[in-house]
Amino acid sequence: MNAHVAPLSPAPFEAGPAVIVSNLVRSYGSRVVIEKLNLRIERGEFVALLGESGCGKTTLLRALAGLDSIQGGRIVAPRRPAVVFQEHRLLPWDSLWRNVSLGLQVPDARERAAEALTEVGLGDRLDDWPRNLSGGQAQRVALARALVQQPELMLLDEPFAALDALTRIRMHELVRELVANHQPGVLLVTHDVDEAIALADRILVMRNGAIAYEHRVARSGSTPISRSELLAELGVNSHSTH
Amino acid sequence: MSNLELSGMDRSVIGANRAPSSQSGGNALAPTAAKSKPGTRGLQLLSWLAPVVLVVIWEWLAQAGWLSPQVLPAPSKVIRTAFKLATTGTLLNDLGVSLLRAAAGFVIGTAIGGGLGILVGFSRMAEALIDRSVQMIRAIPFLAALPLVIVWLGVGETQKIFLVALGVTFPIYINTVLGIRQVDPKLLELGRVQGLSSLQLIRRIILPGALPSILTGVRYALATAWLALVVAETIGAQSGIGFLAMDAREFLRTDVIVLTIVIYALIGVAADGIARFLERRLLAWHPNYGAAR
Repeated sequence: MNAHVAPLSPAPFEAGPAVIVSNLVRSYGSRVVIEKLNLRIERGEFVALLGESGCGKTTLLRALAGLDSIQGGRIVAPRRPAVVFQEHRLLPWDSLWRNVSLGLQVPDARERAAEALTEVGLGDRLDDWPRNLSGGQAQRVALARALVQQPELMLLDEPFAALDALTRIRMHELVRELVANHQPGVLLVTHDVDEAIALADRILVMRNGAIAYEHRVARSGSTPISRSELLAELGVNSHSTH
Repeated sequence: MSNLELSGMDRSVIGANRAPSSQSGGNALAPTAAKSKPGTRGLQLLSWLAPVVLVVIWEWLAQAGWLSPQVLPAPSKVIRTAFKLATTGTLLNDLGVSLLRAAAGFVIGTAIGGGLGILVGFSRMAEALIDRSVQMIRAIPFLAALPLVIVWLGVGETQKIFLVALGVTFPIYINTVLGIRQVDPKLLELGRVQGLSSLQLIRRIILPGALPSILTGVRYALATAWLALVVAETIGAQSGIGFLAMDAREFLRTDVIVLTIVIYALIGVAADGIARFLERRLLAWHPNYGAAR
């Protein structure tokens, strides 16, 4: 898997931040969910965000996506981020290419959609309906829909959580490849430690509305990050899992 | 068979008996065992058996004189009357007049019901202003308003079209509001993430999402339009199918009356067919409506 990343790291792309978050505050009424959070994601960087449920990780993603208003701080992103949700959210009444090109304001939308669908291995299903897809295929279309926007920041909200284990592994491969080719900044929200280790350059653990732990994954040859260390950060007693 | 028995060859008798019996057994099993096309078509044909038998019995009773033509004329007599009225009488003209009234009322009712429905579906403000009044008017069985409508509009074309439109407005309104409100909020959120404008959001997500419900409303509306027309036409009409029926009543022409009833039924079936055709075409994507690909 290192082979994918190593030759592509010097690929021609403009370096620079995909998003800069400073002192972000998000609250529901009097309940503060995110408190003075700072985060910077470079373009081409894959960041995984772990945390117990209710720690505010999805809230952070929604704020970055511009879906929720924020109560303080700043989010600076050069362009509108693309989002892949846990559910595929395909429009059942539109063909696959119409789904992928949703919101794309270009004359050659169908060609662009075809390209993106080919990239996720569904180039021969342009005019098919979403209901004829398996869960993994539908999620691949959702990935194509995000990629076709040529995002500088891609937000993935547990996109593989509902897939079976084998499909999930194939999706990991695909996502790694796509990110290497397109070099967006990626924020992957997940509760799967192994997924984070497999995909991310940097792993963040969120706790009580702030980033509590950060680990930069060294890809080239060094020992992988200790799983138990991460689990401990997530409040799981490590020897109970072994 | 009798030939074989005469020849006294027991074996060939057994053989001859066995062959047809096994064949008929195979036929009987076909519809249930394999759910193939001929099987379902066979059942479909079978479902026509009872109505056909009923008509045949009706014809037979009438021919035998058990049914007085004053009470119920024979089906053959009704068909003859239909041909006579169609060729020499005003049947086709009356039919056209009735269809035109229904169409005009339907279009007006759909425009009002759909327009209000879209307004209320999108805007809580519009809901606060409009919805309660519409619901209160809806509580009136619209046929109960008939005497008032006659006082307002007389018994001319306007009254008939008004009554049809009144009957159509409410099912369209209710199902349009319902359809818009039922659109999956997750898809609306997706639309925002993909950067759709409000107009694009309506065109690409809200209206297609509301369409199944709206078409259900259209189907209900077709039924009520027809009912409204029958009632409106039986009062003070100078033309139309209902006029034909009332006119025939004066002269105890039960054959014409039965004919008008049959025509009403046929047009009702045709209207439902159109609605179902629309559902199949427009909702091809929908697992519950579209023909499986």
